[in-house]
Amino acid sequence: MSIIYVLIPLAIIIVAIAIGVFFWAVKSNQFEDLDRQGYSILFDDDLSPEEKKLAEERKKLNE
Amino acid sequence: MSTESCYHCGEPNDHRQLFSAIVLGESRQFCCPGCLAVAEAIVDNGLEDYYQFRTEPAAKGATTPESSLDKLALYDEPALQEEFVYDEGKHKQIEFTLEGITCAACGWLIEKQLSKVSGIKQIAVNVAQRRAVVTWEPDTLSLSQIMASLQRIGYPALPFQPDQHEATYKAEDKQFLKKLGLAGLMTMQVMMLAAALYFDLLDAMDAQTVSYFHWIALVLTTPVVFYSGSTFYLGALKALAARSVNMDVPVTIAVFATYLSGTWATISGGGDVFFESICMFIFLLLLSRFLEHRSRHRAAQISANMLQYIPVTANKLNADGTLVQSLAKALKINDTVVVKAGETVPVDGIIVDGSSEFDESMLTGEFNPSRKTVGDTIFGGTNNLSNSVTINVTQTLKHALVNQIIRLQSVAMASKPKVAQLADRFSSLFVSLVLFIAALTFVYWYWQDDPRAFWITISVLVATCPCALGLATPTALTCAMATLNKHGILLKRADALEQLASITTVVMDKTGTLTEGRFAITESWFADNEQRDTIMHVMASLESRSEHPIAAAFSADDLAPVKNVTITAGKGIESDIHGQCYKAGSARFTACDKLEIPIIANVYLVSNDKCLAAFRVTDQIKSDAEDVLSAFSNYKKVLLSGDIQQNVDDIAAQLHIDEAIGGNSPEDKLNVVHARQTANEHILMMGDGINDAPVLAAADVSVAVGNATDIARSAADVIFLNEKLTLMRHLLSMASRVKRVIRQNMAWAIGYNLIVLPFAVSGILTPWMAVIGMSLSSIIVVTNSTKLLK
Repeated sequence: MSIIYVLIPLAIIIVAIAIGVFFWAVKSNQFEDLDRQGYSILFDDDLSPEEKKLAEERKKLNE
Repeated sequence: MSTESCYHCGEPNDHRQLFSAIVLGESRQFCCPGCLAVAEAIVDNGLEDYYQFRTEPAAKGATTPESSLDKLALYDEPALQEEFVYDEGKHKQIEFTLEGITCAACGWLIEKQLSKVSGIKQIAVNVAQRRAVVTWEPDTLSLSQIMASLQRIGYPALPFQPDQHEATYKAEDKQFLKKLGLAGLMTMQVMMLAAALYFDLLDAMDAQTVSYFHWIALVLTTPVVFYSGSTFYLGALKALAARSVNMDVPVTIAVFATYLSGTWATISGGGDVFFESICMFIFLLLLSRFLEHRSRHRAAQISANMLQYIPVTANKLNADGTLVQSLAKALKINDTVVVKAGETVPVDGIIVDGSSEFDESMLTGEFNPSRKTVGDTIFGGTNNLSNSVTINVTQTLKHALVNQIIRLQSVAMASKPKVAQLADRFSSLFVSLVLFIAALTFVYWYWQDDPRAFWITISVLVATCPCALGLATPTALTCAMATLNKHGILLKRADALEQLASITTVVMDKTGTLTEGRFAITESWFADNEQRDTIMHVMASLESRSEHPIAAAFSADDLAPVKNVTITAGKGIESDIHGQCYKAGSARFTACDKLEIPIIANVYLVSNDKCLAAFRVTDQIKSDAEDVLSAFSNYKKVLLSGDIQQNVDDIAAQLHIDEAIGGNSPEDKLNVVHARQTANEHILMMGDGINDAPVLAAADVSVAVGNATDIARSAADVIFLNEKLTLMRHLLSMASRVKRVIRQNMAWAIGYNLIVLPFAVSGILTPWMAVIGMSLSSIIVVTNSTKLLK
């Protein structure tokens, strides 16, 4: 059972990190607008024009 | 999408004049050059995806000539910027309100468009509030360039400065979120350790492990007690400083007593520890406070941008006769300013040269333009409709009428009658009783020499903690708000729903609220009925050349060519159509004042001194106005308007309104409402214009109807998002449902506390049972409130 002397403090450290991240998120206004970010994933804006064209073609093939 | 409606904004297309462009690989049709330009700009920037994922059509693109973009250059003036631009070392930051945001895809579009502009450091769009925060490098980019690039894709932006109230609300909101997040995460951890201790039924855990668990729990609980719980201790201190007690007092005692004794037990290695109960207690109470905070102070949801009505620039006439562009806020008394036709008057002043018609609807709510000539006062923010005039400035921008109305509104808002919350009134008595019983319990058990005396007292404090009572009202209000939102009713202050139940008088504005706020033909008379269509066609063609609001009542699809137009301002219009000379206008202008016809007309059409037709053009009552008024049958109804008494009486008679008061300035209106409030009447006010803003702010409950101005919206408690007045019925029925649910919740919460008290006092209930009981009671209350979601 002595493993808990390592695991529990480890868990506490992880929780502390989670809380730090949460505080940072609140501070940088990430809870201000909960509607918008959900849409970001729909846009293929991280693709270059050529890749985008290929993606469109694949989409058409699947239809 | 069909060719019938505009691909960009969804409005019907004009068949004779189509604009088309290729979007998403297909040819699309647009209704106007504005929409076309916006769509082309979006495609050129590789942002076509917007059209694929948007859920609402866009706002109609305004035609923006390059000259209007040039005007933005004035925003680069440091004197103007200092009010709303924040310096962040190398960068500058500004908050904008944006027009034309319709769905989440707009947010994406704006962020993409701006992030491509070099010099932009960061851009964050808030779709719900229609605002954006932009950080940029002033060395590479100017503010006007940012605004211009927003305008090109169809989102005109204006600098914005949130008011004090909103800033504190936001800061509190963040505090709550942090405290709640911390308490929630820690509760989970401590509960995990506690679960291990609870299920150690066979005492298999050695003393060392138990002590280790206690120490860990103590470490985890400490930030919850000192950070998350601080809301309650501060509340308790404030109450005690004011020599009263509130719910925070027993909460503070229970938390600290449990925490300190737990700490002592951990250090000394003996005694009971209830850290998990403290964490959960604080978490649940904080949750109810947070809900309450959100529902009661949702003040800043809509972007009320006052700047929109305050002009930025003016054409200043120097002593040597040269005309220079100047900032409106830099104008001083006795400066001379030229206001051209179509421009907004920059500040209040007296006309010294010329005469013109002014649209003062933004101040008075009346759309009928008023004619002003040398010696008359004109007000900043109103629109000059016909001729260029020269004015002498009488008030600086700070003291201009618009600003005065806004000030009047904020003063009225502060003096708004406050409702003593049922729970608040109740709590002081309840809390004193709880503290008394807890003290008595402690004395009794101590006197019995029972070692559990301390924990029994804590159980009493926790069991009677009115957590469910605290949740009773805010959860019901939050659910009701969500439902109303779906119907297109936005509540800015949830307790307005509670107050609706005690309304005695309904005060309504006339123009724009009960009436359409624009001219329409209500009656017509024709010399020869066979010619009806031809005459209407001539009339529409003729009036198409007039800027007078009455002209808008006449419209036709295809207009005849009009020649030799002469407009006599304020009287009528004269021109040739198909080679025949027509005159349309007032009775005197058309020389029809002696004519006897069966209707009371105010617009006549004559040709060759023969009267062809006459029309009565007035403001029309909204079709659903009557239906809504029947919903007010239990209340006293008052019509309050800035229009002349006769018009107000007319409408009041048609709608069977008890009282009609006309000719009121914004200040008069405010006085009428104040007088009634001191006479113990509770007022529900419905309005739409800027002139209604002070009364809306002062009334017990106020409603801004569809298409209300931003200033009216910011003053009102309830906002109708569409033009249907029937929403009022929804609002009233929801108010009575909410009242019922709140009563049920309170009955349950109080009932539970009373039932559990004997168990706690007699020592059957341990603190952890008390916390679980309290949680269950809260869940029942919340579930009951969710009934309102249907």
